[in-house]
Amino acid sequence: MSIACIIVEDLQVAANYLMKCCEKSGQVTVKGHFVNVPDALTYLNENTVDLIFLDVEMPGANGFELLDQIAFSPKVILTTSKKEYAYNAFQYNVSDYLMKPFTYQRFTEALQKIQPSRETVSTSNGSDHIYIKADGKLIRLNNDSILYIESMGDYVKFVTHDNKKYITHNTIKNLEEKVSKLHFLKVHRSYIVNLHKIDDMRENMLFIKGNEIPVSKANKADVFKRLNII
Amino acid sequence: MNSYANDKSFSFNDEINVRSITELYGDDYAYIEEVFDTVLKEYEALANNINSSYSLRDIPALKAAVHKIKPIFGFVGLISMQQQCQQFESICHSATSFDSLVNDYGLLKDRLIKSKLIIEEEKKKLEFFNTQRA
Repeated sequence: MSIACIIVEDLQVAANYLMKCCEKSGQVTVKGHFVNVPDALTYLNENTVDLIFLDVEMPGANGFELLDQIAFSPKVILTTSKKEYAYNAFQYNVSDYLMKPFTYQRFTEALQKIQPSRETVSTSNGSDHIYIKADGKLIRLNNDSILYIESMGDYVKFVTHDNKKYITHNTIKNLEEKVSKLHFLKVHRSYIVNLHKIDDMRENMLFIKGNEIPVSKANKADVFKRLNII
Repeated sequence: MNSYANDKSFSFNDEINVRSITELYGDDYAYIEEVFDTVLKEYEALANNINSSYSLRDIPALKAAVHKIKPIFGFVGLISMQQQCQQFESICHSATSFDSLVNDYGLLKDRLIKSKLIIEEEKKKLEFFNTQRA
């Protein structure tokens, strides 16, 4: 398996070291190195990658702003020298973060975290329900009972109409592929919503049974396409 | 300071954490030389950023500039310098006035200058060492 990645890093010595680690692993192909967010964004508007090694503090715009603006959900490994980004990392479904400088062993541990996750959700086309693995058992959720799905790092949270929450080991990216044929849509890198449950939409927010769900700029056009606007 | 390299090993300046260098690069001295070279090329711009932020008395910019230079010391094994940068960032974070930073900045600046000299010296030694081994 070859993982296509880009490196977004303005420190040359760090970028070079990362490239060397990728090469040594034999698993990662570096498609590009960018020293700022706008250049990376230009590339990502025309190309997709499996993984981004992302520095957070860069001149002009920070790494999280890049994640806000891309239309797909690659795996992300932060390369930083600050521990304070843990909360944001969680919010942005970041797989791991590497404190610079990191050893090659630590790099390979991070790579292991982005390997395809175990199947934790099963769906069948045309079915009115899905099964998720949570709390040590398979739980049946009727499609219509799900309000939305929210990313929690390496986990996702299913929120249902009776305000129950089910947490399972999976990612929004993986689920997006599985539920896209159903009446679900990714509206933000951290959210998939049930289109049947949207009460209203204001600016860049969807409202579902009192829950506010952000809609990213990149996904807004898709949302309008899938809503029955007359 | 440790004695100069012989045929089989290289002796780093005592300020440099050899264990850290070994963990990062093993015994790939050609690459270690490349790392020191790259760090030196980036050093000037990063240090200038610190100086200009200080001249402007801009604490957040000064903190960000020190944060930016910090990891390069880790790449060349100057771990204590990396820690000093971290401490200065914390001082900036809790500073109530710019004047309260002056003393700590003076200490940091001295070590920034000394660190650059060490990196330059090690780069020369590595270059010589690698040439001898070739």
